Amino acid sequence: MSENILEIKGLNKYFGTTHANKNIDFSVKKGEIKGLIGENGSGKSTLLSQIAGLYPRDSGRMLLNGREYDPQSPIDANNCGISMVMQELGVVGTLPAGVNVFLGRTSQFTRNGIVNLKALNKAAAEQFAKWDLPKVPLNELTDGMMIETRKIIELARALSVDPQLLLLDEITQSLSMNNRNRLYDLLKRLKAMGRSVIVITHDVEELIQITDSITVLRDGAVVGEVLSAKTSPDEIKRMMVGREISGEYYRADMKPDYRNKVVLSVKNLLVENEIEDVSFDVHEGEILGLCGLSDSGIHAVGKAIYGLTRRSGGTVHLVAKGLDIKNSTMALKNNMAYVPKDRDNEALMINASILDNLSMPSLSELQGKFGYIAPRKTKRLASDMTKKLSIKCTDINQTVNTLSGGNKQKVNLGRWLAKDLKLLILDCPTRGVDVGVKAYIYSLMKELKKEGIAIILISDELPEVLGMADRLIVMKGGRVAGIIRRDEDFTEHSVIGVMI
Amino acid sequence: MQPLQSTQDSIKKINQNPLIFFLMLIAIIAAFAVFFNFVTGGDFLERTNVTVIISHIVWPTFVAWGICFLFACGYTDLSIGAIIVLGSFATCIFGNWYGYPGVMLGGLIVGTLLTFLNFNVFAFTEIPSWIAGISLAMIYEAVAVFLKVGKSTADLIYAEIDKSLRILGRLPWSIILLAAGFVAAYIIYNRTTVGLNIRAIGGNKEVAKALGINIVKTLLWVGLISGIFIGIASIVQESVAGRTTVRTGLTSIYVVFQPLAIVLLAQILQKRINIIIAVPICAVLIYAVFNLLTILGVPSGTLQEAFLGAFLILFGIIGQRGYKGVVK
Repeated sequence: MSENILEIKGLNKYFGTTHANKNIDFSVKKGEIKGLIGENGSGKSTLLSQIAGLYPRDSGRMLLNGREYDPQSPIDANNCGISMVMQELGVVGTLPAGVNVFLGRTSQFTRNGIVNLKALNKAAAEQFAKWDLPKVPLNELTDGMMIETRKIIELARALSVDPQLLLLDEITQSLSMNNRNRLYDLLKRLKAMGRSVIVITHDVEELIQITDSITVLRDGAVVGEVLSAKTSPDEIKRMMVGREISGEYYRADMKPDYRNKVVLSVKNLLVENEIEDVSFDVHEGEILGLCGLSDSGIHAVGKAIYGLTRRSGGTVHLVAKGLDIKNSTMALKNNMAYVPKDRDNEALMINASILDNLSMPSLSELQGKFGYIAPRKTKRLASDMTKKLSIKCTDINQTVNTLSGGNKQKVNLGRWLAKDLKLLILDCPTRGVDVGVKAYIYSLMKELKKEGIAIILISDELPEVLGMADRLIVMKGGRVAGIIRRDEDFTEHSVIGVMI
Repeated sequence: MQPLQSTQDSIKKINQNPLIFFLMLIAIIAAFAVFFNFVTGGDFLERTNVTVIISHIVWPTFVAWGICFLFACGYTDLSIGAIIVLGSFATCIFGNWYGYPGVMLGGLIVGTLLTFLNFNVFAFTEIPSWIAGISLAMIYEAVAVFLKVGKSTADLIYAEIDKSLRILGRLPWSIILLAAGFVAAYIIYNRTTVGLNIRAIGGNKEVAKALGINIVKTLLWVGLISGIFIGIASIVQESVAGRTTVRTGLTSIYVVFQPLAIVLLAQILQKRINIIIAVPICAVLIYAVFNLLTILGVPSGTLQEAFLGAFLILFGIIGQRGYKGVVK
């Protein structure tokens, strides 16, 4: 492991007046798994995007295998043996999964102008088999597929290039535990093949575990590079934010701590082919965790409770109000809130302003006589929340799609915090956010818990649910496989035992 | 190895099989036909009436296929009606001058060139297509009127084609043309790189761009492909109707009302069957309803359209059953 596959010298990138990458010097060796970490907005994705040919650089040099490298497009980068799975890009929902794998490169299956879909699907299936990726229905449109499935398709697309250098921008947090392990195996395999990988993830522990070395970015500049085997999470966090960050942002207590009063009672919840016979109560001030493997149905539970999917059976009873929640309108009116996993597609109005996003769920509270909503009220709400959550933005009129992942998530959460909540459903609330925002979200949850708000925390991250929940529901095959209290055998080992 | 599931797995297998759904659809249409026949005292399935229905679905079906490509890439063009009017007008004028070569080339060249021109405007100016489309429609209508009478007027202008040149409006030629159009549309939409790229742009422009799909080039392809279908539609329309009515004041938008209804209905069905297949089925269905209403003496222009609107909603509800989400 000595020769560099990629070398970057003095690279700069500007977006208007923003200096997104400042004099970056960076290199990746052949057969190296390199980690790239930094706070949201530190310039990690911008750097990878330039390597992948998505953005042109403003100055500096890139050398690939010792030769000048200046990709004009992602296809150009692919032809040079570089491919990327992007953080938020996704797949084309109106096309089948198989076509998505080779989109932009379908001409290789074209004869006399006609694309041979059979050959294309066969080649796509071969890619899934070759890299040991979970099977995906290749003939089905990707529209409506789970976020995890879509990410796997994107991964297959990147791997189908047979890359010498693979760029992964926050892919792990879209994957459940079993598929995350499969990805780790894939990284080991690529390394053994002499291929290189650059990985971005906000999970510091994970990054140390899966990489050989880590480069830390802050405010667009490289602040340090460390060997993974010789560093600690605290050192990485300190380099990231420029100050000391405590290693413990989860709860320190090991006993369930909530009131006896039941807020929500779920009985025999049934969503056809997704979940079956799911029953539980959530109490005032309780954080109820839900975890499971990719087909366990945990994400379907959140949607079903909030009334976003059609239930085939069962009841969701809001005890405090004495009524059954039938749909999302009813849930919203009765002080319930739901923060989905897929924030760009299911949660935020991505092309609307921060102001619109933050004020939308509270419009009924903000309206005056005859339904008139005074602009000063919405502005005040948005400004207060932006300040309270320290959302990094130019002003409240900035569109949400221009924010970094962590700031988007703050908007996503913040709009509910302006309401008088009884129950908050959080589906993977820390997906794609840095340690600073993560710590903030956990402290927010602790605050809400203290106020007596019941929280259902659905997560693919075992340490997260183990760190925050009073009780943990482990699901398997759409059913509740076990419920573990915080004062019982509350360890990864016991939870995995129930999961599998 | 554990397979990943799509949320569509919740739908019953029988509903997922496109062939079964297609057969069910045909059976439903047949049942409707028998019912319509009963209601009209045997007039609906009378041979001449069936011939009329088939002859009348050809040009709207071609327009609907053209619109499918437009919608697939996420664009709306309100000047299509004006292009059909100009195309039909060209078919008529050049047909009367040069016979069949004039019929074929007049409509085809005008339809293709103008739609291609529209997409140049959309791609290079980046003006929202529906705004640019209205402006272009006004220009095309004025041009058609000016060409016929040599001056600008808001009056109705008619152009009639020679009877001997209307072969494509009659069976079996119209049905042969329809079959050829179906094969071409199906292959281009589903089995060519350009077809897949068009759908990629409409599905997620950013992904398409990131994967190296040339957006401008693909949009120009849409203009060309849609233009050919719209050009053929103008030829058939002129062959069926025998004359073109030209008028300014955006009246041409009405021309695409029925093809648009066909596409909307087909979009409802496209979760179950391919939209290119759904288009002729929906065309038959819509024209059957119009035909029934005409036989029953329901006035056109008011009640017939109201019935069509109600029918679309009813069909939408049936087509949507069992599926999550709504048709946009």
